[in-house]
Amino acid sequence: MDETYDVIVMGTGLKECILSGMLSVSGKKVLHVDRNPYYGGESASLTPLDQVYQHFGKPVVGDKYGRGRDWNVDLIPKFLMANGQLVKLLIHTGVTRYLEFKSVDGSYVYKGGKIYKVPADEKEALASSLMGMFEKRRFKNFLQHVQDYNEEDPKTHKGVSPDHVAKFLYEKHGLDANTQDFTGHALALFRNDEYMAQPCIDLIKRCRLYSDSLARYGRSPYLYPLYGLGELPQGFARLSAIYGGTYMLDKPIEKIVMEDGHVVGVSDGKETAKCGIVVCDPTYAPERCKKVGQVVRAICILNHPIDNTKDAQSVQIIIPQNQVNRKDDIYVCMVSTAHNVCARNYYLAIVATTVETNDPEKELQPGLDLLGAIEEKFVSVVDLMEPTDDGKESKIFISKSYDATTHFETTCVDVLDVFKRITGEDFDFSKVKHTDTEAVAE
Amino acid sequence: MATGVPSYKVILHGEYGVGKSSIFRRFMNDTFTTATGKQSTIGLDQSTRTYKVDSQDVKLTLWDTGGMERMSFIGSSYYRGAHAALLCYSVNNRDSFTILSQYILDIVMNAEGAKIFLCGNMSDQVDSASDKDQSNVVTDSDLEQFMSQCEDVLSGVYRVSCKDGTGLQDMFQDMARFLHRNSMSKMTLRRDLVQPGSTPEREDASGEKRRCC
Repeated sequence: MDETYDVIVMGTGLKECILSGMLSVSGKKVLHVDRNPYYGGESASLTPLDQVYQHFGKPVVGDKYGRGRDWNVDLIPKFLMANGQLVKLLIHTGVTRYLEFKSVDGSYVYKGGKIYKVPADEKEALASSLMGMFEKRRFKNFLQHVQDYNEEDPKTHKGVSPDHVAKFLYEKHGLDANTQDFTGHALALFRNDEYMAQPCIDLIKRCRLYSDSLARYGRSPYLYPLYGLGELPQGFARLSAIYGGTYMLDKPIEKIVMEDGHVVGVSDGKETAKCGIVVCDPTYAPERCKKVGQVVRAICILNHPIDNTKDAQSVQIIIPQNQVNRKDDIYVCMVSTAHNVCARNYYLAIVATTVETNDPEKELQPGLDLLGAIEEKFVSVVDLMEPTDDGKESKIFISKSYDATTHFETTCVDVLDVFKRITGEDFDFSKVKHTDTEAVAE
Repeated sequence: MATGVPSYKVILHGEYGVGKSSIFRRFMNDTFTTATGKQSTIGLDQSTRTYKVDSQDVKLTLWDTGGMERMSFIGSSYYRGAHAALLCYSVNNRDSFTILSQYILDIVMNAEGAKIFLCGNMSDQVDSASDKDQSNVVTDSDLEQFMSQCEDVLSGVYRVSCKDGTGLQDMFQDMARFLHRNSMSKMTLRRDLVQPGSTPEREDASGEKRRCC
């Protein structure tokens, strides 16, 4: 501990581990600590199952739901977009080689009390029972327009400039409110309807991300790692270690040591490690953060797949806010033994949304209703924290809490933003030089 | 996965400083360096080589720890899906040997079903050790006693020297042979995984896999 580092990273959540890896690769001397004896912080996958019961203050159950050790339970449910930013980070850093992924079976959207497979290309749109016949044709034209749209080439704009608001693009194609709902929320993955008044280019890019992701592996645009999301921070921690980063888990941090308004070290109460920069999650510097909202999540153990999903072994269901008279969408993520996260014949579903009322658990009800019989339920309400300053003065760079979205796009935006605030430049992927000897081996 | 060549993940394990990265380097390109410390292992993590077993190509992918075991824990992710662990100690460091039972427990807990191979490194230094150091050497009877305790657990026992290269290529070949024959009798390889970044294979509606070439 009693040494000098360029950067001390506190907390081994996914964001901190990606940053730690990127900083080590960039040649910085990094010390990475966590107060817990395991990697991942809030983005860990808890195992065995009894650890989940302990986490939520319930009496342990041992092997009641199959072998306890077969469970790896995420506290924050998310999927990876197959063509999204996190996958790009995984590929460019080489971390993808430490992990194994499987695609998610299905992507569904809620409409009028029922769920429907999300139609993502023209063929599926024409076959879907989500829309009437004439609406299908209009939707097909919309998808075609989005697919051909090139920001630089006005010929492809067909009267809709990138600055026109999203609502204008919908109206141009005459899409009805239901179609707008699932396009904006289940394809473009907006969390609320604020995007309607924003430039349509964002909507176009997000629709493209969905269809490009779908085109990669098939049944849905989503990937999920075997053994749970907790594998992701460990993969990036390994990257950091391989580029010289030092890891200390189970290390309680007493305080961040300041001098003349900027950080000079981190103390565990006995020793102080010196550094010029600190990177951490909000729990390590609560006095430098503000609460910006809350997320409610219910982790549910099922002994059956979700109805009307063709017995999918992994699935995402999005309930657009308009369908249930809310401001924010409700998300359902379900995974199972197919991704090595539960015991055989069990299913793990997480329902989550942004809190809008004083009775958060009740807000999840439309999602919980889709699940059918629930064996066990763990509900948590957590504060969303954000740093109060950009860290440029204090040299303490703090990540934001993980939001209610079911994918990692906002996570990556935050990570790349923090990296740029620290170094003043974008991350240079060409600095990653792994041993890749397969090509030269016989 | 998609190439059809059977592939086995082997993780290196053992105390910090017993020469795991030297074994890795011998595996990777059959070289040796006397440089020590973090600098010597930067960027080294994973390497794949092809071996012939019963006239069939078999791939071994060796994983190095990246030095994470020095101050901390390696993390469960390192063990995932490992077909084997190469458990290393230094023959002139008894401590690195006596602690092995703890590592075996780690492996059994975290990498279910992984075969365990034992590897004593630095065999070249045994004879040259001074009298004082001889008390620190792992003797044949130490090894025999350990093997009799762990007979069912160990799939192979080797003694190598990364410095002069003794025993290493034979060890890797032997491990490839053992792992492949073992899996042929069980058919345990998974084929439905996707690797972001590699050429994707799309499953069409019939469930049959398409190849791009």
